[in-house]
Amino acid sequence: MGESEAGHVSDEEAIDLLVKLVSIPSVSREERSAVEFLSGWMSERGLPSRVDGAGNAVGSQGFGSREILLLGHIDTFPGEVPVRREGDLFYGRGSVDAKGPLCAFAVAAARASVADDFKVTVVGAVEEEAATSKGARRVVSDRREHSVDPYCCVIGEPSRWDRVTLGYKGRLLLDVKLRSPFSHSAGQAPLPAEVGVGLWQEIERYCEEWNEKLEAKSAFDRVLVSLRSINSEDAGTIGIVRLSIGFRLPERLSPAELEADLSERLKELGNDLDLSFSGGEVAYRSGKANPLVRAFLKSIREHDGNPRFVVKTGTADMNVVAPHWPNTPMLAYGPGDSSLDHTPDEHVDVGEYLRSIDVLSGVLRGLMA
Amino acid sequence: MSDKKLECPECAGSVELKADTMEGEIVQCGDCGVELEVTKGDSAFALQPAPEEEEDWGE
Repeated sequence: MGESEAGHVSDEEAIDLLVKLVSIPSVSREERSAVEFLSGWMSERGLPSRVDGAGNAVGSQGFGSREILLLGHIDTFPGEVPVRREGDLFYGRGSVDAKGPLCAFAVAAARASVADDFKVTVVGAVEEEAATSKGARRVVSDRREHSVDPYCCVIGEPSRWDRVTLGYKGRLLLDVKLRSPFSHSAGQAPLPAEVGVGLWQEIERYCEEWNEKLEAKSAFDRVLVSLRSINSEDAGTIGIVRLSIGFRLPERLSPAELEADLSERLKELGNDLDLSFSGGEVAYRSGKANPLVRAFLKSIREHDGNPRFVVKTGTADMNVVAPHWPNTPMLAYGPGDSSLDHTPDEHVDVGEYLRSIDVLSGVLRGLMA
Repeated sequence: MSDKKLECPECAGSVELKADTMEGEIVQCGDCGVELEVTKGDSAFALQPAPEEEEDWGE
């Protein structure tokens, strides 16, 4: 049975919230219905809510100067996963990434008794999956207007109920347009598509060189590169090859540094190239010696867990907001297995979801004690 | 309340806890450098190795 300081959200209501929010499709830029539903739910349960200028659902309780910010995202990756319950497992797009964590935030905040000098805010941010992070940027700009950084911030992403996420890798996206003259396919000169493949292999080698230079062993410390798409087309006497490439960056390599260095390297190849970089975010790893980490470790142990830390190879809204609030303790937390993110098998264990709410309730109690 | 000294479970060195130390806090052993978590023993604080750091794919 869940803890319920204020006693006005039962476990059954918590599950109902998850089912209903996951049932409302909300791919990036089409979040409005889900935002209005969540906003209404929070308002009815003691978290007066509004929809901000970016389209985020924002609910809060308390009027103190120390803000505990629970920043989740309400948009999902595309692709339908039929909403259904199979025993303890609840399936649906966003059940893990990241409506499960967001619903856990809303329930825990609604159950909390907020101390006089505190304020608890829940944000269901838009466009986290779109690489624009429009919602998170609005959260930053709102607080910059008032010159007040949050007292602490929890990002809503799946970590498992008994782990806390300390960091995410950085990111850089690259779109390449390559023009290469055709030659006879029986000749010796490479065809445009082959030149494109060669370019990709060169970029792979380039990343390996970085990893050797950084002496990087773990996935978090390495430069990871993926070929998101490649296609070629005929344009008269030349062929055009388009490559879409994603880089996941370690703490020791910024997007700006990679962009400058890689641009130089590709220029040396002498191909006719257009390079378009976007979506740059620096890697972030939170410290462990702060009140937020302390509150999580204590609460997880109180709920018979053996707490662990984790760092992720992906990128989240933590990368967007953390550089703006260097003194704000920050981590990511939420129920679910992040390896199910974006998959057709996306599901969350309902028992784990409820347990994460209990842990969050303990964290809020601990922070405001 | 005065500062307390506890034994590091890794190297048996002495770890000094500040008077305002709280349960769940992460401290570092000055001798071996290992990170330690302050936990609640039967009646007083105890130290144990801090949770390990894992790596996960995804967000």
